[in-house]
Amino acid sequence: MRSKWPIVLVVCVALVLAFGSKAAPKEVKIGVILPLSGPLAPTGKSLREGIELCADVVNNKYPDLKISIAQWEGIPNLGGAKIKLVFADHRADAGWGADQAKRLIRDEKVIGLTGCYNSAVTKTASVEAERAGIPFVNGESTSPALTKRGFKWFWRVTPHETWFTADLFNFLDGLVKGKARGVKAVSKGQIDKLAVATENTEWGAASLKAIEEFAAKHGYKIVEAFKYPHVAADLTSEARRLMASGANTYLFASYLADSILFIKTLKELGASPRLVWGQDAGFVEADFGKTLGSAVNGILTRDLFSPELGNIKPVATQLNKIYKQRAGYDFSGSSARDFVGLQVWAHALNEAKSTDPKAIAKALNALHIPSEELIMPWKGVRFGSPFPGDTQQNELGSGVINQLQGFPGGKYQVVYPFEFATANLMHPFPGWK
Amino acid sequence: MEIATQLVTYGILMGCIFAFVSLGLSLIFGVMNIVNFAHGEFMMVGMYVTFLISSYLRLDPLVSLPFAGALGFLLGMISYRFLITHILRGPMVAQLFGTFGLMLFLRYLVMFIFGPDVRTISHGLLVGKTISFGWISLDASKVITAGACVLFFGFIYWMINRTKLGRALRATSLDTEAARYMGIDTERMNALAWGIGGATVGVAGGLLAHFYYVTPTVGMLFILIAFATVALGGFGSITGAFLAGIIIGLIQGLGGHYLSELKFTFIYAAYFLTVVLRPRGLFGW
Repeated sequence: MRSKWPIVLVVCVALVLAFGSKAAPKEVKIGVILPLSGPLAPTGKSLREGIELCADVVNNKYPDLKISIAQWEGIPNLGGAKIKLVFADHRADAGWGADQAKRLIRDEKVIGLTGCYNSAVTKTASVEAERAGIPFVNGESTSPALTKRGFKWFWRVTPHETWFTADLFNFLDGLVKGKARGVKAVSKGQIDKLAVATENTEWGAASLKAIEEFAAKHGYKIVEAFKYPHVAADLTSEARRLMASGANTYLFASYLADSILFIKTLKELGASPRLVWGQDAGFVEADFGKTLGSAVNGILTRDLFSPELGNIKPVATQLNKIYKQRAGYDFSGSSARDFVGLQVWAHALNEAKSTDPKAIAKALNALHIPSEELIMPWKGVRFGSPFPGDTQQNELGSGVINQLQGFPGGKYQVVYPFEFATANLMHPFPGWK
Repeated sequence: MEIATQLVTYGILMGCIFAFVSLGLSLIFGVMNIVNFAHGEFMMVGMYVTFLISSYLRLDPLVSLPFAGALGFLLGMISYRFLITHILRGPMVAQLFGTFGLMLFLRYLVMFIFGPDVRTISHGLLVGKTISFGWISLDASKVITAGACVLFFGFIYWMINRTKLGRALRATSLDTEAARYMGIDTERMNALAWGIGGATVGVAGGLLAHFYYVTPTVGMLFILIAFATVALGGFGSITGAFLAGIIIGLIQGLGGHYLSELKFTFIYAAYFLTVVLRPRGLFGW
């Protein structure tokens, strides 16, 4: 009788190979949808570099970085599987973004998605993830509506506009109360007339709405408010409109190209508001200060990151140094948040110990990343419901307000929260006359 | 009154700039009945020439204008010789896709070489300077661009209507076969139309770079307005392109002030109405 052992052995080996390969994939594919062409291409490039750096830190050993992903060399609980990023360009087009999400899920077989920067695109692309039942972890889109849809497969890491707008008005109130570093109490009458210009996509509209709500609550008057198309050849009329309003405080929600155009035009017209504030986006891009030079000095922007935060978070300085060596410029609030977005993906995969969507979702809902693991000045990452209606929104995030000082070649100095200020506030805004 | 005067002045200035960008597009269409989708990219190349000469050779950006014009001329001629002559043999759709492909090729070639970064010119005789007329203060570079626009339109108008070369161009545009029988080298006329179209938009780009940011996708913003301008003025009409540019500048200037969200809606509504009510445009043939 012939022995059956060889057959049993072959079957065992086959079973081990089959199950072994399923339990420990060599790589996990994550789809990244960003604006890589069109007017937002420079922004998309910086975001891509942030995400790529995070993947590199997860996949390779960085012994000097005192965060856990830097010691992993792959996802430990997935047998050291490497993260493979599959990029797609959404061209700032919500419909195209949704198509790209479908393509990544169906053809590239990604296990989940991240991106898309533009809230409007994140909205449509995340619908595709919801339909397919795969996780979408968003790092940097800030329209409050995104986490108010009750989606089961959508998690947002960044704080949203409601936080930032609250920060702005707390900052203005603090300025009146004399809390700002290096500035005596300012009369409220000097900064209480607001003119608001926001671009006309979902993000701009959400920003305007939040500003209107908080202005009413904090006793500030909106004397002019309008939305404008951010793909514009000229913004002279809009700039004139701001100046004609008699406002002493200008607030913007603008992308890179339109923020540059606005500031150039206001400079050309000799505008002299007492305070200028931008809602992140274009105002925190490296090209903003590089392109406009000294015209940006004194402009405030809500942000989430500053290279100057190194005093509080040494790991932020270390990673920013590596990022700068590769990209040629510092982390922006957006690229730093996208770094964290992928970091959340890595932790979730490690906790899930599987690439099964349900296991990842469970891991994301139970995830808690402490502050010391992050480059952001946050208390950590934990998904919950920080504001009424929010679901699966990181509740431990927070923002900062930076001021551009010393350009060209200057820095984004933290001026709010007042206790974290890295420089004296320049106030009033020097104007462009 | 003060604001209205300012808005009208800014509108006219921007209108001249839109018209300047549209001039070559109108000329090429007038002579060859081809819509050049790559026209905005010709402008973008002109902007990069000015940016590079200003930033790397540290020369005044005004010095770059002849080079921007010359490169635009060459680009137009080369595009005609190596692309247009071939796609002309195909159906209409091949012509559309051909120039569309050229647009993408130029845009992404420049993006490949220079990256997607936004750049601006920071020094120069006109850069950042303003000219005041009473209570109106205007960007000197926009005023000079508008002046150059008037000069170029005047020159092209004179050339088309008063010179032998212009008559040959017009003959080619009216009836290529007949023009050929009369001994006109129509191939040369077509190439020349592309060259002149490229040169004018190259210079326009060089002047635009004085006050507008430079990026590989910048042509996209202007080409849509240029199409509306040419359609409104009448395809092939030089006078029409100029006046339509001014009209569009005023529409976007006034619209931007009173209803910013709808400013492009007004422009394309004007375009739509023209196409419906007067398909040949205000001054079209």
